[in-house]
Amino acid sequence: MQLHHCKECVDLLGEYVEGTLPPDRAKALEEHLSACPPCITFVRTYKATRGLCRKALSREMPQELMSSLSSFLGKHVPGFARPKSDTPAAPEDSAADSAPKKV
Amino acid sequence: MEEHPHQPAPEEPRTDGQPGDRELVERSQKGDGEAFAILVERHQRQLYRLALRMTGSEADAQEILQEAFLNAYQKLPLFRGDAQFSSWLYRIAANSALMRLRRKRRAPDALTDQPLELAGPRFSAEGSLEPTSSSDWSQRADERMMSGQLGSAINKAVEELPEDYRTVFLLKDVDGLSNEDIAESLELTVPAVKSRLHRARLALREKLGEFFDPPAK
Repeated sequence: MQLHHCKECVDLLGEYVEGTLPPDRAKALEEHLSACPPCITFVRTYKATRGLCRKALSREMPQELMSSLSSFLGKHVPGFARPKSDTPAAPEDSAADSAPKKV
Repeated sequence: MEEHPHQPAPEEPRTDGQPGDRELVERSQKGDGEAFAILVERHQRQLYRLALRMTGSEADAQEILQEAFLNAYQKLPLFRGDAQFSSWLYRIAANSALMRLRRKRRAPDALTDQPLELAGPRFSAEGSLEPTSSSDWSQRADERMMSGQLGSAINKAVEELPEDYRTVFLLKDVDGLSNEDIAESLELTVPAVKSRLHRARLALREKLGEFFDPPAK
């Protein structure tokens, strides 16, 4: 297949950046990119959008909220006791540490 | 040998010497409240970020966390281990946040001015990108910008996304759920998830482009 327009390229980007685009379509997209500097820039900024948003949206959970959650669950879950220091806090930026894995 | 009617989801061993989620879930299912507390400690930060980003409200995030963890505890006997515990927990929290958002939307004073159309790149009649889409700002962000105006601009842009698009974007690109998990959580098809995700990214990319290269007045 062949991509004739930038619009076709942009339409395929979502699956392309995730590596799920079928090989023939990925090849056609890369052929288009090799001859289209605006689309190369578009791909770079499209990818950067994800990284910048992920970074900007990280937020520390307030200690008071952890305490209130613990108190709440302590009233509803028999034997619930918040661990003191045996479970280290997850680093703020390491979403992978506790992020759900693919199933 | 005991027969297992389902295939448990694989679990990577932890590097901190702590028991894995599966062991803690099994102990919790047998009534071990301390094991459940470790699960809460382990996953509460991630759920907090999800709830806060989805609702934009600390108070709502707090209630969603309480609701989600209590709901998870009550449903633990039904958890079969076919999925990762973290994914299952995420689904519960995301659904709780979505239900809350929908209740608010139905309220008489709920905001109804969500944009009908998302921003995106502009193309010529022939389908080529317009020059306004061509600036490369992908390497221009630094730490100082992230903690200042850029961070604020991103938060605002994400908040302004229509709720259904924002949720898909957050679950996928910020929290790393699979398209299949998101589809199941939000009762969407996988193609619908992909479509919303792509459109959300395009809209956010436009906003970031405007931040780095403000349009001439």
